[in-house]
Amino acid sequence: MGATVQELLSKYGLIALLLVLPVVYGIQDLRDDGNLAGIANNLFDGLSNGAIIALIAVGYTLVYGIIELINFAHGEVFMIGSFTAVAFWGLIGLGLGSSVIGLVLGLLLTLLVAMATCGGMNVMIERVAYRPLRGAPKLAPLITAVGMSFILQNVGLLWLGGSPKSVDDLIRAQDDLFTVIGINVSRADLLAFAVTVPLVVLLTLFVTRARLGKAMRATAQDPEAARLMGINVDTTISLTFLIGGMMAGAAGLTYALYQTTIWFFQGFQAGLLAFTAAVMGGIGNLRGAVLGGLIIGCIQQISDNRISPSWTPAIVFAYLILIMVFRPQGLLGEETREAG
Amino acid sequence: MRLRFIAVAGCVGVLVFGVAACGDDDDNGGGGGGASTGAATAGGGGGETVKIYSSLPLQGASKDQTAAMVQGIELALEEAGGTAGDVTVEYESLDDSTAQAGNWDPGQTAQNARKVAQDDKAIGYIGEFNSGASAISIPIINEAGIPQVSPANTYVGLTTDEPGSEQGEPAKYYPTGKRTYLRIVPRDTIQSAALLTQMKQDGCTKVAVANDKETYGAGLARLMEIQAPDIGGIEIVTNEGIDKAAANFRSFAANIKSKGADCFFFAGVTANGAVQIFKDVAAALPEAKLYGPDGVCESGFTNPSKGGIPKSIAPRFKCSVATLDLQSYPGGQEFLDAFSAKYGNDNPDPYAIYGYEAMKLFLDTLAGLGDKATDREAVLQALFDTKDRDSVLGTYSFDENGDTTLTSYGIYEVGDDGNPVFASAVEAQGAEQ
Repeated sequence: MGATVQELLSKYGLIALLLVLPVVYGIQDLRDDGNLAGIANNLFDGLSNGAIIALIAVGYTLVYGIIELINFAHGEVFMIGSFTAVAFWGLIGLGLGSSVIGLVLGLLLTLLVAMATCGGMNVMIERVAYRPLRGAPKLAPLITAVGMSFILQNVGLLWLGGSPKSVDDLIRAQDDLFTVIGINVSRADLLAFAVTVPLVVLLTLFVTRARLGKAMRATAQDPEAARLMGINVDTTISLTFLIGGMMAGAAGLTYALYQTTIWFFQGFQAGLLAFTAAVMGGIGNLRGAVLGGLIIGCIQQISDNRISPSWTPAIVFAYLILIMVFRPQGLLGEETREAG
Repeated sequence: MRLRFIAVAGCVGVLVFGVAACGDDDDNGGGGGGASTGAATAGGGGGETVKIYSSLPLQGASKDQTAAMVQGIELALEEAGGTAGDVTVEYESLDDSTAQAGNWDPGQTAQNARKVAQDDKAIGYIGEFNSGASAISIPIINEAGIPQVSPANTYVGLTTDEPGSEQGEPAKYYPTGKRTYLRIVPRDTIQSAALLTQMKQDGCTKVAVANDKETYGAGLARLMEIQAPDIGGIEIVTNEGIDKAAANFRSFAANIKSKGADCFFFAGVTANGAVQIFKDVAAALPEAKLYGPDGVCESGFTNPSKGGIPKSIAPRFKCSVATLDLQSYPGGQEFLDAFSAKYGNDNPDPYAIYGYEAMKLFLDTLAGLGDKATDREAVLQALFDTKDRDSVLGTYSFDENGDTTLTSYGIYEVGDDGNPVFASAVEAQGAEQ
């Protein structure tokens, strides 16, 4: 009887839990306004915000999936991505007066530079701080990860100082482009989806179809067996860090364009949310990380808009706790060696 | 092995790049992490030596204001020849901020206050800049019996139990039961009323308020709510505490838009998400007028080249500072001339004059006490007894709570160079001292 209840709760309790906020406020909107435009806008804004979190969460989950390490420095790699992007677009002369074509080409180039910088940095971090500790107790690389996180945070602090810095709103992020069924779609929303969706789709295709992607999955499941089958485990792990870092770089540029403010501490805050998203979706699970990011984005927006911004962090983490209670393996289940 | 060397070299390269890229536009303290800076200025007087300290956030968003204050303090001491009557006066500037916080830090503030409390030569403490920081330093300084003068605090609860303060204030800040804290800027009761008066003049009817949840910001926002009905014609449609680390405040902006807000006010300091919330509100409410208190009325907030708000929203922004046009003060022009001669700066931050006056108040008080100038009790009594003092800020006295009788507030706009410029003086409607 107890087991049945547990199973039912696990299966449907979670869905009910996730639907509580949208349903309650949807009903309120219907009662007050006669339509669902309010809650639809909240959810859409949440998906757009969550898309950036999802890009960062992918990096956490890839690394955890393959070497079972929580790479605490990943949030800071994302922050360096933002800083690099802003510095680079300044270097090539992108500004508020740039033409549309110049802006598109310049930002594409900036995207490549940010992805390459963060990918390269992540590979170096793995090589220096994690690989020498691969056979060591799990706490050792965890501490070096925390150490790397602080080092990168201080680099950011020295680079741009301790205060948030407003950057040029190159894409006029908050200008509305069009309205669909009462949902206002801004340039920032379009940017978040235009960067995140193709990258996540490409990444999923790479991991599931490409030879190197299969090597990644094989290494994640059993490194020793993978090595015996001729897979170069070290290269595969480096590749994982490269891809995770590239995603963080893309998120860094998107964040700078989307929020138009950058600061050295943004990596801690966004990293914490992204890690939460990865755990919520099922650590090691690529689709889970994306789903977790989108859900956290929606919870944040509904809380900010309907409840109070003061309560948002508490509400997000209350959801995490409840989801863990109902479903300890995360929404889509863990994909790690421990989880089988 | 070679690969490892290359990787290590690469990482070092990244760090060097980061350090080399360190901008010179902010936080020169860098890795200093809030260490105190010694700036002792000893004069050639005879007799005993006493020491006056200042504790201000010298890093982060407020550094332009606090650097100007320190310059003002040093100017006053230099003009006095480093002496007050028969005593030699030394000065040391302490930093209550950390580079990490980009703002004042509770631990650093307490450390500064303890350092001063343990110095037998300490006769005066100028600080803090932030009301929340003073809430930490006042009790420590109070137990040591050292006179403290703040050149910038405005939170009501530090000195009074007036509306806007919290339960137990201000008694909890004075463990000895005796007052040791005074301030030369009018408290937020005046600032709030002045801002509401300005908003009313500008045609605001529905004002949305956000605060940074700190002592100063939350207290000022509370006062706005309390005083708005007295001003009349203005409704505070919301007062929300924000998460200063939030990536953006677009949902909050959408929320106040749905409430019909035509004006927005942020009660807090620049370091606490101020630029982002103004950008988001300005985008959601393109017609709304935007207001800020003295906590954001500085170039780090208003100047885009320093990471402040974009030029496009600057024309909609006004802020308040207790300082009026420096030239309009009785001793304003002389102060400006002396400041320019010493530092080569004709247009100092408005707060420079408060640093100057805080030190001058101490020096004049010590000089007037003769051989009692080293007696903390006597200095404290003399400070509270200050009546009709002719100063660069005008004529003022202190009441029994240590509050100044000055009531002027200036409204500032954003100038062509991106920095705040004095626009007008506002007479606070309904403000009572």
